[in-house]
Amino acid sequence: MDNDLLRAASFINRLLANQTLAQLPPLKREEQIIQFLNVNAQALYPTLSSPQFLPGKNWATILTLLTKALAIETDKLLLPQLQELLDTSIDFTFMSFLHQRRIQPEEYKEEIFTFLQRLLQKSTARTVLSGPFTALSANLTDRYIDESFELRQYIHFELTKVQKLKMSKEEIKNMVKASMLLKTAIYLLTVEDTAGSREKSAGMVGVRFIDKAYSILKAQLKLLPDALLKSALNSNVSFQENKNIEATGRIASIFSFRAQSYKPQVQVDRGANTPDRSWFNVSRRNFKFYGFDIKMLDEFYKIAAENGW
Amino acid sequence: MNKKLINVLESVVILAIFLVLIQTFLEDFAVLTGWKMRFRQQLMITGFFFDLFFTIEFIIRLYYAIANRKAFVYLTSERGWIDFLASIPLLMLNSGPLAFSIFFGGSAFLGLGGMLNLLKVIKAIRIARILRFLRIIKIFRRIKNTDSPMAQRHVANITAIGVTVLVFSLLIFTFLTGSLEVKGLDTFIFSHQEAIAAQLSSQQENKTALAASLNILKETEESLLIVKISGKAVYSRFDNGYYEQNFGPGEYSYFSEGSFEAFFDLRPYVQQLSRESLLFFVIVVFVVLSFLFIYSPHFALTISDPIHVMRRGLQEEDYNLEVKIPEKYQDDDVYQLARLYNEKYLPLKARNQGDENSLPLDLELADIKDILGEDDK
Repeated sequence: MDNDLLRAASFINRLLANQTLAQLPPLKREEQIIQFLNVNAQALYPTLSSPQFLPGKNWATILTLLTKALAIETDKLLLPQLQELLDTSIDFTFMSFLHQRRIQPEEYKEEIFTFLQRLLQKSTARTVLSGPFTALSANLTDRYIDESFELRQYIHFELTKVQKLKMSKEEIKNMVKASMLLKTAIYLLTVEDTAGSREKSAGMVGVRFIDKAYSILKAQLKLLPDALLKSALNSNVSFQENKNIEATGRIASIFSFRAQSYKPQVQVDRGANTPDRSWFNVSRRNFKFYGFDIKMLDEFYKIAAENGW
Repeated sequence: MNKKLINVLESVVILAIFLVLIQTFLEDFAVLTGWKMRFRQQLMITGFFFDLFFTIEFIIRLYYAIANRKAFVYLTSERGWIDFLASIPLLMLNSGPLAFSIFFGGSAFLGLGGMLNLLKVIKAIRIARILRFLRIIKIFRRIKNTDSPMAQRHVANITAIGVTVLVFSLLIFTFLTGSLEVKGLDTFIFSHQEAIAAQLSSQQENKTALAASLNILKETEESLLIVKISGKAVYSRFDNGYYEQNFGPGEYSYFSEGSFEAFFDLRPYVQQLSRESLLFFVIVVFVVLSFLFIYSPHFALTISDPIHVMRRGLQEEDYNLEVKIPEKYQDDDVYQLARLYNEKYLPLKARNQGDENSLPLDLELADIKDILGEDDK
């Protein structure tokens, strides 16, 4: 690491040590700091261009250095956590139901982890990975899929009869989690903007783009079964555009977005609905905007309301 | 005056209000359950000092209000009228005369004219005590039962109206029944005791007849306490020690004609008044408690809570909780507004949050003052 990057890292580390960010997951913290730098550029420039930090540099250079240092510092925390998520949160035995190849779960983990490391080199991918990462860390999906299987209504029907997943509930949960984690794969193919700028994180992509992405990513994720890769990639397509998106992909899409605004242990005000119930109800009204399956949202809303989530 | 001293004084006033309410309750309770006179006298004297304290408090508050040209504001919106009604009239009509009679002897009461007048005075004194209940309003204003100033104010106002209406209804009713000469317990007692006194007075020359009448009355008339002729007691139901221990000011009546004097027991009448007073006290306390524990949560549920949720949603970028709309109240104006907030505003807000520049930002410049401050040095 050169001197400038070290100085940028020293500033970033002081920001990261701030108590207001302490409770946030690594990618959320990174997101906060990047926005903070952009919003407060004018106020920060005198300090950052002082001899203590990066003297004589213009703001664009400073921002590039800070963003780079931030990514390095974030990865120090993020990568071990990602590895741990792959080891503990997802059981890859469901893969054997999707194709006939005999591959050890460790090999899947290795391939996905290597791929995610590559993906994290892109700032846009880092932003969108925040949702799936939080969804997996907080284990948002399990309780909803459990309830859906109890209800045996639309979601259960879509998973078992339409997508025809011949596997147990636990394996379906793992497939949804894997789809969520790989949802961001398409960002490997997007054009990177200048440092620090962000794309709209809620954007959906077209079916044609997914077709192209599939053919390219298939070559990079050779061990993964087609069904999983398609489920993951299609979770980026609006359900309004393609009514044949896999149920696992639709669920992955919903929970990835849900997790973007997820806050653990929120104190619910008297007179307010619970966080999940509120989110699902608001999303029901925005389902076209986000490309969600309204019937799935209805069922998740019902589950959240009945369980006080 | 500095703020700390004012807070200390306000706390002292609140404590005094709590204590005076307890004292008011105990004073009546003591009469009803027949506590010894020395305990009751201590309670009466305590009441006098409380009323003196509140009178001084009122005068100081009024003085400062006049000095700051806010006398009208103090007497109206700051509820100075309660400070007035629950201090000076009580000192003049209730605790003052009682304390006077304790310090200077029961004769203070006896100089008030005829027996019916005495009963009316006793009743007026007792009823005036109801004004103390108004203090509950003052205390209620200072109990912080909700985070919403609006809820606090509304509940305090409705409580003030409830308690004031109740207290003044009782006072007006008592005044009307007194001035309309409606026959009541006091009239009955007056007529009954006056008839006995007149009968005995007519027999004062005939010692045998008087002795016979007193013998009968000893068995049949418990209210006759003492009969004196020419200052000498010819009849006494109890010994002097008993009278000292059990009779307070206004608890006996006095009748005289020439050298004839008769004393009657008024304790059953005073107990009846105490019973009524305690009933009023309990009613006022229950009214206040019902506002506090029934109306206040209802107000919070239907008014301040939904407003609080909407205010946070409008103010805080990352607050996206919906307002809970109870089916029962869904047609209320507040909940119609909440419906619009849930169905229109929150979805729009959520869409805007997809935009990079509207991400809720937890970190602020103020949080890194230490880093920025070093540059200034």
